[in-house]
Amino acid sequence: MGKKECIAMLLAGGQGSRLGVLTKNVAKPAVSFGGKYRIIDFALSNCANSGINTVGVLTQYRPYLLHSYLGTGGAWNLDETDGGGVAILPPYATQTGGAWYAGTADAVTQNIGFIETHDPDYVLILSGDQLYSMDYQKMLESHKRHNADLTVAVMPVPWEEASRFGIITQDEDERIVKFTEKPDKPDSNLASMGIYIFSTKLLVETLKEDAIDQQSEHDFGNDIIPKLLADGKRLYTYEYNGFWRDVGTISSYHETSMDLLGSNPDFDLYATDDAPIMSNAGTKPPAYIGPNGEIDDCLVGNGSSIYGRATHSIISTSAYIGERAVVEDSVLLPGAVVKDGAHIVRAILGERSVIEEDVVLGSVDETKDTVVIGNDVVVGKGEE
Amino acid sequence: MEKYLGFITANYSTKYPSAITESRPVASAPFLGRYRVVDFALSNMVNCGIRTVGMVMPYNYRSLIDHVGSGRDWGLNLKKGGLFILPGSAFGTSRTGSRFLLRDLEHNKVFLERGNSELVILSSASFVYNMDYNDLADAHLASGADITVLTKTATRKDADVTAFKLEDGRVKGVHHGVEPGDTAFLDCFVMSRTFLLQLLDWYEQTDYLDLFEAMAADFERVNVRTFDFAGYAAPIFNKDVYFKANMDLLDPKISAELFPEGREIKTKAHDNAPAKLELGSHVRNSRISGSCRIYGTVTNSILGRNVLVEPGAVVNNAIVMQSCIVRSGAHIEYAVVDRNNEVPADIEVKGTPEALFIKEKAAE
Repeated sequence: MGKKECIAMLLAGGQGSRLGVLTKNVAKPAVSFGGKYRIIDFALSNCANSGINTVGVLTQYRPYLLHSYLGTGGAWNLDETDGGGVAILPPYATQTGGAWYAGTADAVTQNIGFIETHDPDYVLILSGDQLYSMDYQKMLESHKRHNADLTVAVMPVPWEEASRFGIITQDEDERIVKFTEKPDKPDSNLASMGIYIFSTKLLVETLKEDAIDQQSEHDFGNDIIPKLLADGKRLYTYEYNGFWRDVGTISSYHETSMDLLGSNPDFDLYATDDAPIMSNAGTKPPAYIGPNGEIDDCLVGNGSSIYGRATHSIISTSAYIGERAVVEDSVLLPGAVVKDGAHIVRAILGERSVIEEDVVLGSVDETKDTVVIGNDVVVGKGEE
Repeated sequence: MEKYLGFITANYSTKYPSAITESRPVASAPFLGRYRVVDFALSNMVNCGIRTVGMVMPYNYRSLIDHVGSGRDWGLNLKKGGLFILPGSAFGTSRTGSRFLLRDLEHNKVFLERGNSELVILSSASFVYNMDYNDLADAHLASGADITVLTKTATRKDADVTAFKLEDGRVKGVHHGVEPGDTAFLDCFVMSRTFLLQLLDWYEQTDYLDLFEAMAADFERVNVRTFDFAGYAAPIFNKDVYFKANMDLLDPKISAELFPEGREIKTKAHDNAPAKLELGSHVRNSRISGSCRIYGTVTNSILGRNVLVEPGAVVNNAIVMQSCIVRSGAHIEYAVVDRNNEVPADIEVKGTPEALFIKEKAAE
């Protein structure tokens, strides 16, 4: 197979345990988002739209749905015939045993063989659970311009939130001088997005050293970057200004979903004509709004039927809202059913979950937690 | 050995052309916002387990090839078998109304000869229905007929639907045009592959005829039986039935028959965002496809992908196809607005139920 300039290693093994029941049966990258997508669509589409056609997807936690969703990558234009495309890379056994991926760096270390097969000049490390639209080619150009060993994508965050992120301090040439994971007193508001471009030779050397380091947790943020910085390597930033979210928790999942709505949404799904967000969606008929349907400020997926009222909500593929039912500020995941007369406020309804007739769920009171119903769960009257 | 071989004649040219079929064959006429008419024939074939489908192309095949491609969206990009694009005869271009022109079958005998299945299922691409063809094939084998045609009792007069005359359950005559109560042909039949090849030899001298016209004198010796399809089926032969069939799908009962759970009508995949019904929009009894953005009023209508309806615009009892823009204050009623049209602000585009307004496709 031909040599590639840059390949991507997409970390998709995360459990996403803080997403609670939404990740009970599926890995976080496979969680449904935005009416028709799964979270991993965003990183995969970015790869395809950036001309990066070889993507190793490192999976681990509950991989079945994720693997079947990925297929051979055709949905993202990534089913190449020359050896590129999507390769699913779960943990595997060797003559000397096998092990789960112990950390983000370890996952890549265990697949150095995959990287060497493609012999790229650069390796792009991505996370499969972030929502954003980015041209990695521009980041690669910046990496080459700086003659960098490692380029870290960064974005400015509000100062008051800086202590939640890995914070990067850079000099006037965009060279990284300091990296602090979740600093108490940040001296910069540039946060690492967990998106890295490495020059391959250095990456492979560093990972091999890290693998035998007893003190290391084998994590890119905690171990690899500090080590390279201490060794005086050329680490540079690439600043990104745009929508970017890591939907780590139920409340951030809900907030980010709501960011898609309104007349000037923070994340505009319709502003991506030249870089479409691709997905492996089925072919359901167009959404049907019934004779008494009343619906506005909603995203509506194919195969959905709306007979009741819905406002400021996301109604995903094949979701159903019955007569006299009311859905407000909520997210209905694919196949969720809200039966006649039920009333749902600020809730996330899992895939194929059923809210029986006249059930009332959730509250407009924003001090209360967002209600979450797991996939396939049925909520009957009196079980609220 | 494969169960059945599939053969789709997608080169039918309607005898009743309108702006909708001016630029494309019936097979690639858009249907219900996101589909093309051919999706139904193709999906019915693959859903019953067919893995090899030959498709006879019309002369204006660009839109059809663009749509079906390698057959991947129907699971037909196979190493062995899959989708075969077959040439149609020049006569397929004349608007004779024939759906199974002998010449088209003769020209593609090689495809039929190379098949390795006992039975072949043939269909035009001019009807909309969803059926498990195993039922048809099982009935065919059980009755011992030479040919089993898929039929439905006509409920309306329709000049372009083929009718069969029956005696004791056997087809004894065929004619164009159905009256209510007639046995209407759904342009689909099953027969043995070797017998079809034999028939093609018999009728070699009359290859300008439709297969069923050619057989008209032979119903005594060829045992043709019918299989009555109980579900929803609609012919797409002219603009009025086209409009009605689209509107039928606003009825959830009909919709459930055409799109049953587990037997999906597949179509070319597009990367559209979900539809967005914006703040203040008013949408009722309508179907809205992906990437539509609705600010105005849409009632009793079908919208294709990526249609923009601006604030104050009204779309009622209409089909508005892909990538149209309906500007503020525009009013569309009893109309079919084909792809890429921009309806300017405060303009009325109005037909009546009896005389639909058809706006032809605009340049991209």
